[in-house]
Amino acid sequence: MSQLNTTPEESQMAQVESTKPDFSAEGVAAPPTSLTRVAMRKFFRNPFAVVGLIVLLFFIVLCGFAPLFTHYNPATIDMLHASLPPGTDGHLLGTDEIGRDVFTRLLYGGRVSLIVGFCVAFCSVVVGTLVGAIAGYFGGWVDMILMRLVDVMNSIPSLLLNIMVLALFGSGFWLMIAVLSLTSWQYVARLVRGTFLQLREMQYVQAARAIGVSNWSIITRHLIRNSTAPIIVNATLQVGTAILVESALSYLGLGVQPPQTSWGLMLNNAQEFMLTNPMEAIYPGLCILLVVLAVNFIGDGLRDAIDPRTKLKISRRRLQKWRNRFSKSGI
Amino acid sequence: MTEYLIRRILQSVLVLFLVSVISFALMHAAPGGPLMVLLPKSGTQAAILQQEKNMGLLDPLPIQYLHWLGQLLHGNLGYTYKNHVPVGQILWPTVGNSLILMGVSWILSLLIAIPWGIYNSTRAYGLSDNISAAIGYLGFAMPAFWFGILLQEMFSLNLNWFPLSDMHSMNKQGDIGDLIWHLVLPVTVLVLGFLASYLKYSRASMLEVLHMDFVRTARAKGASEKRVIYRHALRNALIPIITVLGLDLPILVSGAVITENVFNWPGMGRLFVEMAFAREYAVLMAISLVSTVFVVIGNLVADILYAVVDPRVQLGKKGGAAA
Amino acid sequence: MAEPLLEIRNLNTGFVTENGIVKALDGVSIRIDKGQVVCLVGESGSGKSVTSMNVMRLSDYDGGIVLEGEILFDGRDLLKLSQEEMRKIRGNRIAMIFQEPMNALNPVFTVGDQIAEALYLHKGISKEEAGKEAVKMLRMVGIPEPEIRAKQFPHELSGGMCQRVVIAMALICRPELVIADEPTTALDVTVQAQILDLLRNLKEEFNTSILLITHDMGVAAEMADRIAVMYAGTIVEEGTVEQMFTQPLHPYTVGLLNSIPGLEGARGTELYTIKGSIPSLANLPKGCRFHPRCPFATDRCRSEEPPLRDVGDGRRSACWYAEEVAEKAKTVMTTAGEGE
Repeated sequence: MSQLNTTPEESQMAQVESTKPDFSAEGVAAPPTSLTRVAMRKFFRNPFAVVGLIVLLFFIVLCGFAPLFTHYNPATIDMLHASLPPGTDGHLLGTDEIGRDVFTRLLYGGRVSLIVGFCVAFCSVVVGTLVGAIAGYFGGWVDMILMRLVDVMNSIPSLLLNIMVLALFGSGFWLMIAVLSLTSWQYVARLVRGTFLQLREMQYVQAARAIGVSNWSIITRHLIRNSTAPIIVNATLQVGTAILVESALSYLGLGVQPPQTSWGLMLNNAQEFMLTNPMEAIYPGLCILLVVLAVNFIGDGLRDAIDPRTKLKISRRRLQKWRNRFSKSGI
Repeated sequence: MTEYLIRRILQSVLVLFLVSVISFALMHAAPGGPLMVLLPKSGTQAAILQQEKNMGLLDPLPIQYLHWLGQLLHGNLGYTYKNHVPVGQILWPTVGNSLILMGVSWILSLLIAIPWGIYNSTRAYGLSDNISAAIGYLGFAMPAFWFGILLQEMFSLNLNWFPLSDMHSMNKQGDIGDLIWHLVLPVTVLVLGFLASYLKYSRASMLEVLHMDFVRTARAKGASEKRVIYRHALRNALIPIITVLGLDLPILVSGAVITENVFNWPGMGRLFVEMAFAREYAVLMAISLVSTVFVVIGNLVADILYAVVDPRVQLGKKGGAAA
Repeated sequence: MAEPLLEIRNLNTGFVTENGIVKALDGVSIRIDKGQVVCLVGESGSGKSVTSMNVMRLSDYDGGIVLEGEILFDGRDLLKLSQEEMRKIRGNRIAMIFQEPMNALNPVFTVGDQIAEALYLHKGISKEEAGKEAVKMLRMVGIPEPEIRAKQFPHELSGGMCQRVVIAMALICRPELVIADEPTTALDVTVQAQILDLLRNLKEEFNTSILLITHDMGVAAEMADRIAVMYAGTIVEEGTVEQMFTQPLHPYTVGLLNSIPGLEGARGTELYTIKGSIPSLANLPKGCRFHPRCPFATDRCRSEEPPLRDVGDGRRSACWYAEEVAEKAKTVMTTAGEGE
């Protein structure tokens, strides 16, 4: 660009600059401040996710503060008031065949399901992150062995493994959490390992290494930035899965043992008394269904909120209506 | 191709070996041997010891494992502790029963899910799509055994349309009609579970393909919408579906455990639970192995199908579908 | 010669999105005569591709809607046709060449099958016959050993080869109009020249009209009879190649011409870029849509929108000062080109 031309040109450009704020003020939304904010906004705009969150909180409060909502003991047997229909004598949902208050048992049983769900999700993330980080950081034969382990774990039907361990080692609450965690860490491990491998290729990590900066601060920061979102989504969905597996194992008699109870165990019981007390099978199953649905809605909501590509859905009918109204072209 | 197959089979053998080692180690690390269950409580310590010695349970674990492996290589799965019955004799019939239940459910759900998912992908967010999304959420969140119990209450206790449980009515072994009658409820339970994921996958996979450039090319060529969907898009959409089907096989094998228990179906899953309580190690080992073999074969078949459908994939070459 | 084949009149289109209807084209009018090559030039986001998708009526599948206008092809308004009727025209009388040949081909079918498909769909001949024609066509587009290549899959061919396949596919039904959407953008420079040569030769041979969409004024100069410059969803200038290159009548065209990297660019001169970026149709500036980026903008430009008007010699321009642009441009051009 020659000297002659630059001066007028630049002054023009300066003018352009000055007009710019003008048309950004013409009702264009201010740019979003941070990704987390955007994700939050997207999440809370998703009605399914919000309802899921409310339902889950409802169950957490109800089960967590169970003594506040019921004065019965979940294990107290009262043969005089057995098999009461819902609503009699202050038994909100009636009593079971040996006179235990169904509502109370639901609340206390829910504690087991919720604790198992969240503990398993947390532990599997911890185990998965550890395994993935070790495999990705050391690479070589360590990586190979750990990844073969992942393959093997993926080849064993995990439910069979759970049943075997619980049947042989005796069923207990904490053992169940341990076993469920140890059979559900593979996804997170793969994810974290992948991030590590990606990290190794990065120029700036190699540069940092070359000048002797500790890798750890880079690694942790990068890891958090790249893996947190999918890990959180996975963990959320894991809560639902764990609750389902727990209930299945309890149903088989492999979970918590009487006098403790859980929703799965209540269903085991209910199947025996299907003829005399059919409603007993409804409540615990419904609770499981609602909680898992809620958790899955939250998980899906989180995934959609985090994924920048997802957009709001438009119903086909609305789209069609718009088209019919505006489009001049034949369809 | 042959080279690839050989390598995959060797890999599979390694996986099988590791699975058997893990199962074996787990079983024998458990407190209390099989005799705790087998012998009456009154059995003296000495009697238990003697019995264990006779059964080879006191040998060092690696020896026991090698012994078991040696027997296996001769085609012998071992004997139960109780009554000394050959494992194969009780295992194989249950494998067949499980395959009937699972196979019917699986094929049925594929026949429903793939066409329906594809239909939904072309009419995203329509009524049919929303129904299938609801089925998906239910299928993922509903405990299978609870659904089973509800079906039992509804259709066998109240309406008396279908039998409550079991595979055959009394004295009606081998009657196909009777078998189908017994299949209805458990298959319904399993199909709901399968539908949930397959509907989602086939729809998502098809939707993704429908947005690809070559679909636009096909339309630009003047292909009809039917041709675009069923000829150009479908084959591409099947590629990821096949992968998912292969990876789903563990569910196919073990997914029936719960359902079999609810409906008292004489399959492998029910046998496994029963034998786990009875601590019949030989049977447990056999079932873990059989189910792992199914998984491994399933993955291999999926890989081969993958290469058949997608010309870009060449088995055994870089970027192929190895492991 | 001056018989119109395609005439787009005042086309207004948009897309249905989450935020309602977003406009994409704002009163586009173009005319292509039989045997003519018309280039649609502009930055990405100016609506060139949308125009082509509207002509093909393929935008209907992506939520596109037509708000106003006519697309007359051989006297018929394409917008009035049903998709079924449109299908008989697509690939048969109007064909399309896409930007990324690798993605435009279906990975699971052989290239021979894909080329033959159009013929089989429209001409009602047997698959074998169509296959033979496809091989012939492959030879015509300069692919060596066409019998072997026809049986290969797209991933086995190079990018340039794939583009030749796409061209073969487009031309096999001998269409009257070919729309080529950035046919060389995704290719290497050397391959680009070959593909352009091929297009030119085939055009001569079949007497096809071409609507060539490109962001590259160099490509336009080589191929076009007429050039239409698009900016923010509308045409801002139209004329023949000679007119456009010797005397641009819109400041945006001046900018585009100056951004061609010339051979003398190596002399240390900075490559010209148009400052700022193209506005979306959702928030067009008041007045002339180009004024925030225009070096010659005046108060009138900021308040009143200039119409696309005839400025003599069969040319059109949407600038209030079209006649003066020619003068001003000369100084810009000469200074930029350093007195060439």
